[in-house]
Parts: sequence; structure tokens; C-alpha cells
Amino acid sequence: MNHVRLQVERLTKNYRTSPDSADILSNLDLSVPEGEFLCILGPSGCGKTTLVRCIAGLEDYEGTIRVDGNTVTGPGPDRMMVFQDYNQLFPWKTVLKNVQYPMKVNGIRDKQELRSRAEEKLKMVNLQEYADYYPHQLSGGMKQRVAIARGLVMNPGILLMDEPFAALDAMTRNKLQAELRRIKEEENLTVIFITHNIQESIVLGDRIIMMDKGGRIKLDERNTIPKPVSPDSEGYGAMWRLFEDALGDTGAEG
Amino acid sequence: MIERQTLKNLRAQLIFLIIVIIGWQVMSNSGMVNQLTFPSVTSIGHALVRGFTQENMAEYVLYSLSLLIRGLVIGILLAFVFSSFCMISRTVYSIYNMVTSICDLIPGVALIPIAMGWFGIGESVIIFIVVHGVIWPMSRSILGGFSGINRMYVEEGKIFGLKGARLITGVYLPATLGTLISGIRMGWARAWRGLIAIEMIFGTTGSGAGIGWYIFMKRTNLNYAGMFAALIVIILIGIIVEYLVFQVIERKTVVKWGMV
Repeated sequence: MNHVRLQVERLTKNYRTSPDSADILSNLDLSVPEGEFLCILGPSGCGKTTLVRCIAGLEDYEGTIRVDGNTVTGPGPDRMMVFQDYNQLFPWKTVLKNVQYPMKVNGIRDKQELRSRAEEKLKMVNLQEYADYYPHQLSGGMKQRVAIARGLVMNPGILLMDEPFAALDAMTRNKLQAELRRIKEEENLTVIFITHNIQESIVLGDRIIMMDKGGRIKLDERNTIPKPVSPDSEGYGAMWRLFEDALGDTGAEG
Repeated sequence: MIERQTLKNLRAQLIFLIIVIIGWQVMSNSGMVNQLTFPSVTSIGHALVRGFTQENMAEYVLYSLSLLIRGLVIGILLAFVFSSFCMISRTVYSIYNMVTSICDLIPGVALIPIAMGWFGIGESVIIFIVVHGVIWPMSRSILGGFSGINRMYVEEGKIFGLKGARLITGVYLPATLGTLISGIRMGWARAWRGLIAIEMIFGTTGSGAGIGWYIFMKRTNLNYAGMFAALIVIILIGIIVEYLVFQVIERKTVVKWGMV
């Protein structure tokens, strides 16, 4: 856990939609070591999605973002992204072809390798029997699993996840959280996971950050509760209270 | 349920057609109308058979279709090339958008005299008019599809490492295929109309004659049954293209992908 995977320094982002538009992110510093599962909490509009979009290279920004020492200048397969939207899989490709596609784009032509690597990841999310299905034939939870498999197939340095389970029902969400945590352990993934759900961040994160409305980091806590976390784990209540109170102070409604 | 309703509709439509045909036949034989300009169903049928057996109707049709397909392919390819340039910059996009809106207003037939001056009398004029009929509606649907595309697909493509032309073929084309097929459908309909009109206006080219010319010849001979026979052929071609080309393509793509 010593190698620094992601280094963000003095990151400022302003969409400049009007002359007096406020900064979404202002002078944000963040360092994420290899193998860390970082959850980012915050009220709507706090800039958490903007932060991962900047890391993904989908937005221009002021400041520096480095991944493994290389400055981020645009999107790339070393920073795969899983979105909230179920429809993120390409509907014109089968599940298997969806998972294979990032490899094909990056010049992997060997049929054997394409198949075995994609099947390995599909097996990891328990969907190997659905390889030949089209996305519209799957449930929301299954689609998100395929998106995770696709996100992992290039062995990215960082997996960026923007509220991937937010639109799922509670039971499916719990199941996917457990699966994601298991995969993270197996593959020693570095994950940045956006959520607005405190419970989710405590279940998943090794470290939890809370952002406030001005795009600043308000809380940055290590989550030492042993995994798997459940509401009766020791320390869960205190952790939950800490973030719940902080969320109340961020200007979030309700 | 849906199947039963469809069958019911189909039966009603069929019965209606049969009634129209019978009514037509009765009307034609009643002596109330001139049989020359209002030929009976049977004589239209004979004209149809004679057209194919003695008058090489199939050759006229194939010649028309060959011009049409050449024009369609050129028009669609050009529309793709120009529309792809529009993805490079907003300025190019706004200029091409304007050009499309202006040119789309010009009926192909109105261009025939100018095209004859430019290209002489030959296949190139017909192809020019067909291309004109196809390229603007096709460009509109490509630009509409491309600008209405779900941004997430484009961002994913970029994350995977796609750029430029590969992003267009890998993401933009499949993601907007439904709109593109409607564009081709519209382009085909326009081109087909324009083609028949132009064949009537200047008849044969050096290398052949099409179905428009066939109708025109029948008019010169006051052969109304022959004219109706040609119309039936045109309708049949439209049905074949819709059901055996467009709908099959849609079933194998956007319908299979759940994108409709």
C-alpha cells in the first residue's frame, strides 16, 4: 500500500457557463495509494461526479492529476469507468462482445485470448452463462455486473465508479456490494467509488471522503471496520453517525 | 394478443382490396366509363403479363433499379463523408447544416434542365438527380442522429481508446443505426420518385430505358392498361423493398438489439 496510484494537486474545475459561475472543485488535493478502495460521499452538486470525470480525462481542468506518475490529458483504458446508467453497455453487442470490445480497441486480435480473458471476467461476476445475451435481455443488476466485468478486462490502474448501484433495488445492491468487495480483494483493485449512501460507503470503502457544496474535502476517514461490514459490526454506528452529522452540515437538503 | 389484432387488421385490409378490385371491374364493364382510360382489371392483368413476357418489363425495371442503387450508394457515402467532417468542428457543422437546409428545398426535377446542361443527356444526369434526392435527407438524419447520440456511449468509446474515424464507426454508426435506416428509407423514396420523373422527361439514355420511360411509351400509345400495369410493378417494388430489405435489416439489427 505504498505506491501512489493517483495524485491530485490543486485541482480546480469551473464549467464557466457564465462569467460569475462558481468553482465546482476548488484547490482539491487527493492522494490514493495502489489497492485502496476509496468512497466519496457528498450531497448532490458537491462536485463528486466532476472529480471522477476529471480523473477519467473526460473534462479539462486546472491543477494536476497524475496516475502512476503520468499526467492525465484525456481518457484512456487505464482508468475505466462504470456509470450509474444501466444502458452503459453497447446495446448492439452481446455481453461477451461488450466485455471483449475494450481489448479489441487496444489491438488484441488473438481470438483465444479475447475469449478467455472476457470469460474469466464474466465468471468473476457470475454471468458466464449470459455471454451470448444482448444487454436488453438482462436485468439492471446484471447489466451493472457486465459493466464491472468490462471495466476490469483491461486490468486498469484505477476503476472509477459513479454511483453504479444507486438505481438498483436494495437486495440487488447488497449482493453487488458484496461481490464488488470480493473482486476488489481478489484483484487488489484501486477503486474510486462515488455514492450518496453512507451505508454503502462504510460497507465498501477502506477510506471514506466527504465533500461539501464548495467542492472541498470536508472529512477524510480511514474505515477500519473489518470486512464484511454489517450494521452490527463494531464501530458501524459511530462511523455512520460521524458522516450523517457531517452530511447535515454540508448544505444538503433532507 | 397483438398477433390476433394484426391478423384481424390484415383480413380487413385484404377484404377492402378485393372489394376495390371487384368494384373497379364492375365499373369498367358497366359502360358508364370509357374503357380506354378506365381499363378493366383483367386487361390490366393481361398488360402486366404481356409486359413481362413480350416487352422486357423486367429489363426496364432492372435498369431503373441499377441507376437508383448507384445513386443511392453514392448519395449515402457522400452524406457520411460530409457529416463526419461536421463532427470535427462546430463551424463546419453549421455551414453544412445550412447547405443541407438550402439544397433540401430544391426538388430534383427542377434541377434537370441545369443537370442536362452540365452533363449532357445520359446516365450521369439521372444519377446526379438521384444523389441530390438522397444526400440531403440522409445528411439530416445522420447529423440528427449524431447530435442526439447518448453522450455516455461516446465517452465510453473514448475511455476504451477510440478516436476520430474509429469512434465514428465503432460508436456513432451503431448507436444511431435506427435513425440512419429511417434516413435511407426516406432517401430511397425520394430517389425513386425523382428517378421515374426524370425518365419520363428525357426518356432513354444511350445505354438503356427504365420504368418511367415504359409508362411514357404506353401513354404515347394510349395504352392505359399498360400504364396501370407499370404502376402495379412500382407498388410491388416498394413493398418488396420495405418488407424484404428495410424490415429485414431492422429485425437483424435495432429490433434484435432492443433499440426500438
